Amino acid sequence: MGLSHRIKSFLDDRFDTATARTIIDQQAHKRLPPHTSWFHVFGSLSLLLFVSQTITGILLLVYYRPTPEDAHQSIQYITAEVHFGWLYRQIHAWGATLMILVVLLHMLRTYFHGAYKKPRELTWITGVLIFILTITFGFTGYLLPWNQIAFWATTVGTESANKVPYIGGWLRYLLRGGDAVTGETLSRFFVLHVIILPWLLTGLVVIHLLLMRLNNLTTLERVGEEKPVPPDSGIPFFPVHVAKEGVVAVLLLAVLVTLSVLAPWEIGEPADPLSTPPHIKPEWYFLPSYQLLKYFEGPYGAMIGIVACSVPFLLLFLWPFLDRGKERHPRKRPLAVAFGVLGLVAALFLGYLGHISETEQTFFGKRYHIDLLGWPHEIVEEQGDAEQAH
Amino acid sequence: MTNTEKHPTRRGFLDWLIGIGTSVTGLAMAVPALMYLWPAARTGGSDNVEVEGASDMAPGQSKTVQVGGKAVIVVRSHGGFEAYSAICTHLGCLVQWDGTKRQFLCPCHAAAFDAQGRVVSGPPPAPLPPYRVKEVAGKVYVSPT
Ligand code: HEM
Ligand code: FES
Repeated sequence: MGLSHRIKSFLDDRFDTATARTIIDQQAHKRLPPHTSWFHVFGSLSLLLFVSQTITGILLLVYYRPTPEDAHQSIQYITAEVHFGWLYRQIHAWGATLMILVVLLHMLRTYFHGAYKKPRELTWITGVLIFILTITFGFTGYLLPWNQIAFWATTVGTESANKVPYIGGWLRYLLRGGDAVTGETLSRFFVLHVIILPWLLTGLVVIHLLLMRLNNLTTLERVGEEKPVPPDSGIPFFPVHVAKEGVVAVLLLAVLVTLSVLAPWEIGEPADPLSTPPHIKPEWYFLPSYQLLKYFEGPYGAMIGIVACSVPFLLLFLWPFLDRGKERHPRKRPLAVAFGVLGLVAALFLGYLGHISETEQTFFGKRYHIDLLGWPHEIVEEQGDAEQAH
Repeated sequence: MTNTEKHPTRRGFLDWLIGIGTSVTGLAMAVPALMYLWPAARTGGSDNVEVEGASDMAPGQSKTVQVGGKAVIVVRSHGGFEAYSAICTHLGCLVQWDGTKRQFLCPCHAAAFDAQGRVVSGPPPAPLPPYRVKEVAGKVYVSPT
């Protein structure tokens, strides 16, 4: 008797394995709706990236030390000395950015297919929570190398919390573990990043996937008129959809390794609490909010700004209950589609303004200084020495 | 109406007891845990700090020191020393002293404060708070006002 056979009969003697096998079989061969396409792979890609972050994160943890004295040094040690340390650090850093991107693409797919409508409102809401946790992962992880950019970006980021009406001051104090960003902040962010967020996200993803399976993927039929996909039609999850996912997963891993090799993240200078370097900007996924905040000035303005930044997230949570239309097909929901496109364009535009603000850019052959708010000011050259027009 | 709803039964009482008991126990465990997370009062270093090498500073020069865990910028003018909080009141970056412009400049969003810490331009909502400077026997000390 072969080993696998012996294990099988050992289990069969003790448990009701037939039932378990039926459930697994049903799930594996479940039929997905006929329009299930390459756009439907972003969910499992998000999952793949989460798994990759978990594995590379655990590997980094072996050598990383979360104190202001050791943190920067330990990252340098990982990249310079540890076998393949550079690779795992790069894959973890690039994986974070790609995960946020892929989760965003997944949200767009489900938005345009009306997948948030009844009965999948809770799938969508757990999704929005997952999205928020994912960017919180990014925010907390960013500080861990304890370099200048991270230290000051975190100072600015946690200071923004101070503008939250009424509780801002407490919130900042709690986040920082004191008045300023110090070793206390590093400890807090570390615990969030490696213990609390991973378990929260794991729990949410499990619920999200269960809900997704219970309702199956959405067809493009109207709310209340969805027909179940019979076993002899639709797209078999295994092997057809899984094969698509496999192809895209391999591509994604290739992109991840390529970026890690060709565009490595720098370690930067160690944090210096007594000097702020120029050009502090947050990561790309915070740029739209960061830019939006700049347009609200003064003590009350700043408060309104923070509230304005939370509106998009509030809208995401409430969206299944705000859009009560019965149609799912994007061509039959011009308003919802227009709204989604508008939101996307606004976010991209604000992010771009944030990216180019306080830099010099060339448009149509002329040099411009882009100010804080994103306005361009032409740079006029006068007798050889450059001077700003405004 | 069933019997259960009119007269509390043993079953109903047990349900109620378990519900209340779990909530109270949960709360009793959560409150200290939340308090634990609140940063314990901790002085971030001394409150009266000597500015090392102050006597070597030329007029127009500045130095950033930590007072009670917060960054303070000390400027030497012709009249003597002045100190202001170096923490930009906008989003917390540290300002630098520009001796020629006689202004504190913030590297983060291009704010400028004048020599008295008042906002000249940029997004900060409030002036830089001043610190007290004392000169004793040729040494310069900074402390919160
Ligand atoms: C780590 C993050 C995430 C993972 C691992 C994940 C995983 C998945 C997977 C594997 C699917 C099924 C395949 C697919 O439709 O792509 C799915 C479906 C779904 N997800 Fe996510 N997801 C994540 C984040 C999100 C976010 C941020 C949202 C929205 C705000 C969201 C909303 C949905 C919805 C509504 C469905 C049902 C789709 C349908 O019925 O067609 N998910 N998720
Ligand atoms: S932090 Fe100084 S101007 Fe924004």
